[in-house]
Amino acid sequence: MTRGLSRDQIGVSEEMVATYGELVFKLSHNHQIRRGDPVRLKQFDLIATHRGESGMSDGQIAECLGLTLNQVTLIRNLEERRRFNRAPYHRLNQLGGGRRFRTERFTDPASQHRYDEDATLIRCAIRFDPDLVKRYVEAGWWCNETLRSWLAQRAEATPGAPALLGPDGAVQSYGALSEQVRRLAAGLYAKGLRPGDVLSIQLPNTADFLRVYLAATHLGAVVSTLYLPHRKSDMRRLLGAARARMLVCATQLGDFAPAATAVAMMAELDHLSCVIAVEQPVAGAITLAELDADEPDPPQAPVGSDPFLLLFTSGTTAQPKAVPLTYQNMLSNARLSAPEHQLTASDRILSAAPFGHLYALYSFHLALATGAANVLLPIFTPPALAEAVQTHRPTALFAGPAHMQACLANGLIDAERWRSLRLIVLSGATLPPALAHQLAAALPSCARITQLWGMTETQAGLYTRPGDPIDIAATSAGRPSPGTEVRIADSDDREVGHGTEGELQIRGALLFPGYLANDEANAAAFTADHWFRSGDLAVRSEDGNVTITGRIKEIINRGGVKYNPREIEDLLDAHPAIAQCAIVPMADAALGERACCFAVATPGAMPTLEELTNYLLEHGVAKFKLPERLELRDALPMTPTRKIIKGQLRVD
Amino acid sequence: MAGKRTASVALATAKQAILEYAKRKGALAAGVADLDAIERIAPPGHRPSDIMPHVRSVISLGVGGQTQGAWTVPAKAMAYFGSTESRAYTAAYGLAFFIEDRFRARSVYCPPDLDNEAGPRVPLQSLKLHAELAGIGARSLAGDILLHPDFGYMYFASVFTELELPPDEPMAENPCPTPSCVSLYRKTGQTPCMRFCPVQCLSGVIDDDGQQAQMHYDMAKCAEMSQQYEGMPGLIADAINALEPGAQEDALFDPDNKMVWYKMSVGSGGLLAQCFECMRVCPIAINAPLADPIRRAEARERGES
Repeated sequence: MTRGLSRDQIGVSEEMVATYGELVFKLSHNHQIRRGDPVRLKQFDLIATHRGESGMSDGQIAECLGLTLNQVTLIRNLEERRRFNRAPYHRLNQLGGGRRFRTERFTDPASQHRYDEDATLIRCAIRFDPDLVKRYVEAGWWCNETLRSWLAQRAEATPGAPALLGPDGAVQSYGALSEQVRRLAAGLYAKGLRPGDVLSIQLPNTADFLRVYLAATHLGAVVSTLYLPHRKSDMRRLLGAARARMLVCATQLGDFAPAATAVAMMAELDHLSCVIAVEQPVAGAITLAELDADEPDPPQAPVGSDPFLLLFTSGTTAQPKAVPLTYQNMLSNARLSAPEHQLTASDRILSAAPFGHLYALYSFHLALATGAANVLLPIFTPPALAEAVQTHRPTALFAGPAHMQACLANGLIDAERWRSLRLIVLSGATLPPALAHQLAAALPSCARITQLWGMTETQAGLYTRPGDPIDIAATSAGRPSPGTEVRIADSDDREVGHGTEGELQIRGALLFPGYLANDEANAAAFTADHWFRSGDLAVRSEDGNVTITGRIKEIINRGGVKYNPREIEDLLDAHPAIAQCAIVPMADAALGERACCFAVATPGAMPTLEELTNYLLEHGVAKFKLPERLELRDALPMTPTRKIIKGQLRVD
Repeated sequence: MAGKRTASVALATAKQAILEYAKRKGALAAGVADLDAIERIAPPGHRPSDIMPHVRSVISLGVGGQTQGAWTVPAKAMAYFGSTESRAYTAAYGLAFFIEDRFRARSVYCPPDLDNEAGPRVPLQSLKLHAELAGIGARSLAGDILLHPDFGYMYFASVFTELELPPDEPMAENPCPTPSCVSLYRKTGQTPCMRFCPVQCLSGVIDDDGQQAQMHYDMAKCAEMSQQYEGMPGLIADAINALEPGAQEDALFDPDNKMVWYKMSVGSGGLLAQCFECMRVCPIAINAPLADPIRRAEARERGES
């Protein structure tokens, strides 16, 4: 409509707009050129000559083009509207007040980062109960902290303090680490890593792992980990499930070539755009060294509510599930727990567990929270751990029971050589009480042997505290971490009393928001009042310490009589002919389920079912709890954190 | 001859009184533009005679722009200082009354409005052209914004009158570009105004003598930042075309877009002013004995008030 007339009255078609639009637009006031200073000098001829450049009225354009005035006005207005870009208006908000325009500072909002479908999916997982969030924020548990901000604080406050102590004796300060991370982040950004993208890492516990971890999160990317034992099929499955954009991996891990394997997979994993090999170059991959770039930080820094980890459950009983974790979950847990572990900036923390697992990352988070140093043990072997302890004199050791068991078995734990240790945290699998006592006896100078319970979904949920008697650390996982609540619940999710076995349920600042794109798993995992069902069986004592007694899914239902096989396994583990065992249910037509014992015999032994059941009976075990079948194996399937994968133990 | 001289002297005196009045009312500079030149340069439909058929003179005045402090605030706050221009309009509005009252010549404050037949970027009259020809500003490389050597950047307003006043000449020298601007241009190819334009809509050429050889102003680009006339229909179109409810909601309710709604409603009451047509046809309003300054002056002469 122009001057009250419709298009068909004016006689303008879309074809005419296409024909004359640009010309009308340019002849009009929208584009002005003035040659000389003709108005001030009253150079009327010059003004007339350049009329078309200086902006003509609609009437003049009509006269020039042989259109009617109304046609020109309509076409000009349509062109102005169609060409108009609202985006530059936003620049107004960034000007003045001492800020001047610089071309390089401004980008069109339309061209700025956009979370793609995969990244948006992860962000969709951030769904917490609003009332709980309010509580976490008000309590100061959740705040705006990220790994980037923590590292920056360390680099600023204590730039010369040691951050990483390498196996080769190399010491890297927080200041140097921060600068390396910034440059590596710039390199990753240049290769296309953007906020919300997933970068997977499959590396030993090296400085490179931590640098990549910090660089990716520096950019707001999400880190996913592959365990070192993962091979082609696991790699394909987990990279695919994470929709990883990049993979940083070793060129060679023993006889496995991760980088070359991943490069070969890129054709089928359309999201995987870049494989980064640490060490030697690999065809189709780039090397980590190529990513060093000295560019300013990209504009978008991560914030506390961002997800930054996408881990997968260890899958002892089922297929791994994707667990998104936010900074607020993880860093609040570490910040609040560091004082509980009595860790300070003067500590040197060593993790025997692999960084691919959250337990080891927790130890790193604690180090960043306090400013402590990280002693790096690339790959655990008993001698390597013993050497690292002797060389770097760590004050705190995060390990699994199996790690310590192996060191004890190899006679590598020496009170004098290990005297630097003031804290040992044991987690990742059930801690045999005897092992805790053995360690306490072997390391009298280490006053703080503690047990920790956590899951991929929670990080550190329970732990015993330094100062707890060894009997407590040997038999319980301790008390909740700050910001965490636990309850022991019956099958109707009602809390049970002290001393009664039930499911360990947990909620709090540390708790993950829910499995990624897995409504079925989430429905099963959370109670109506937002408690997370850990799947672990536990008992709480009157002093508040929680003892893990087994897994719900491991309960055997023999003709309606249910029991937890953990006590049977503990007894069998102590049998001289048994190196390792796991009791699982086997289907039975009459009773529904019966117990089957999978076992690894000690070298030279050949235990029989009868021998073992007699042994159990001698120890007072009820007959209905006796295993009714024995399957001897050379080895049992294990997670990288040394937990038996019972889900893979099947009885034909 | 004597009569003509007397008339000439009287008009010169009148002009002096008019310009002094404008300055008393806040104008930093004022002058009379060459009407013939305006009529030759302005396109048909935008000439003073298109507004006032018997116009004989165009008076232009300029008021100061910002306070010095205003230049230090964020641009989004600066935007509101545009209302400074209303001081120019107020002075010009008063001047039209003054001329009618003092000299009994019909006068009109030149509406600084846009031509509703042509859309929101086409003015009824070019106040800039009036001011330039009145000698109170010269075109700069910054999109032809007028600058004055003593008063810098001003807001302008005009008065058309049937009183024939002797015109002033345009400024003899153009203060733009300054030597420092020429120096920067020689080094970078841009003057400061070009360099710091947030949408890079300015460019130009300075000749070997340091004078403007060419000014290039991409007004459409400038308007994308400074004039959001297409904003509201654009965001409504976005909302209509949005495929997802979230995007639809964003189009209508994101903070920037809500500002557009604000400006079109409570933030710009002037846009919703009355048309006064009811008063124009009201005999009392038009013909009352003291309805306008001339009538009031005539009444004073007759001793009736």
